[in-house]
Amino acid sequence: MDSPHRYWENGTDRDSEANRMVSPPPVLFEARALLFLRQDEPVFGPLDFHLDRGEILLVEGDNGSGKTTLLRVIAGLLRADGGSMHLDGQILDHDSAQGRLLLLAHQLGLKGDLSPLENLRVAVGLHGCREHITPRDALRNVGLQGYENEPVRQLSAGQKKRAALARLLLLPAELWLLDEPFANLDREGIALVNRVIERHAEEGGAALVTSHGAVTFLHGQPRRLRLAS
Amino acid sequence: MRPGSLRAACAAILRRDLLLAWRRRGDIALPVLYALIVTTLFPFALGPDTALLARVAGGVVLVTVLLAMLLAFDALFRQDLEDGSLEQLMLAPQPLALMLGMKILAHWLSTALPLIIVAPVLASMLHLPGEAIAVLVLALLLATPLLSLLGAVLVALTAGTRRSGMLLALMLLPLCVPVVIFAAGAVSAAQTGLPWIAPVAWLAAALALMLVLAPLACAAALRIAIDA
Repeated sequence: MDSPHRYWENGTDRDSEANRMVSPPPVLFEARALLFLRQDEPVFGPLDFHLDRGEILLVEGDNGSGKTTLLRVIAGLLRADGGSMHLDGQILDHDSAQGRLLLLAHQLGLKGDLSPLENLRVAVGLHGCREHITPRDALRNVGLQGYENEPVRQLSAGQKKRAALARLLLLPAELWLLDEPFANLDREGIALVNRVIERHAEEGGAALVTSHGAVTFLHGQPRRLRLAS
Repeated sequence: MRPGSLRAACAAILRRDLLLAWRRRGDIALPVLYALIVTTLFPFALGPDTALLARVAGGVVLVTVLLAMLLAFDALFRQDLEDGSLEQLMLAPQPLALMLGMKILAHWLSTALPLIIVAPVLASMLHLPGEAIAVLVLALLLATPLLSLLGAVLVALTAGTRRSGMLLALMLLPLCVPVVIFAAGAVSAAQTGLPWIAPVAWLAAALALMLVLAPLACAAALRIAIDA
């Protein structure tokens, strides 16, 4: 990247990564001079960064530095005020790219009166499902066996988070946008998130993970994108 | 039905919202109870004059049913906004307007349909003649979805604001008026033996128009509400 704004620093050996992925093209997502304003004040940006297939990018910044806003802009819930986003080298068109992006937000999007299984079935009905996995498998994988039919409202915060993580396992999306995926989770849950993200990267997906800077529980040395407040 | 197809998505949303409504059956019972109480009170207030009751019956039942529907409107999108499922709906690879249309359909099925089922009972309590009851049910079958669609657009427009209930009622009032005029016109025409098909056709035409436009307007309004 020969952009004047180098918000990220290189942490992984990207050459070996690129060699492993011959086709399709390694760059999955790219943001060029991406800018978002609120009342004429920049919330973040202009930002230049890219994300290869099989890569995890850690988005760091203090509270209020625009991490969540960045994810919502990429997801298409907010409109960027400048710059452009590209998916597979094409300008990102949210109407046709829906389903390739998956957002795990603070509000998990689970219905409290429905069970985790019923919630997942709705998600599968909307998005479709990966091969060789059922909602029941996904719940077992995140350690919610025995809670399949409990109303989500009665689960603990960590268990709700796990139910939302099960959606990541099920739905066929390439680019994951994970907003503080480690919040509310115990040690085992943190290991689970790491496992889930790593497997997604091994299968050629990519993930943007936010963290408020103090600690990150991500394994290895992921590339970092630092948002200034 | 392949998961992720349009039909599967429509079925998933419809099924989810009906299931949620069923889990909160008490909320469904409230509008029905309200309609029952109001129509029961009318004969006490007006006196036991059968001819008078029969003359006002159509209007009373119509207005009561439409007002009872108002009670349930506020909840149409609020929960989805709060728990983040609306965001997930927007990120799904399905046309948002169609999914919202399914939500409105589920809302109509769970709030208006029980009211339409009890409407003949309420009307006969007020001595409305049999043939007029049939027209009343027909008018309600067209007027209530129309009101659901109009209401959904307004709920979507006021979704971001606090205490939107009052604003919603004020905005919905002028839109209710033509619906009430045509529906009550059909019932009173049937009661006096006049042809009633014209006002019913007007309701049907308005319903056809709103069936297409209201979900699109809802989708646009909710995208703005999410943006805020």
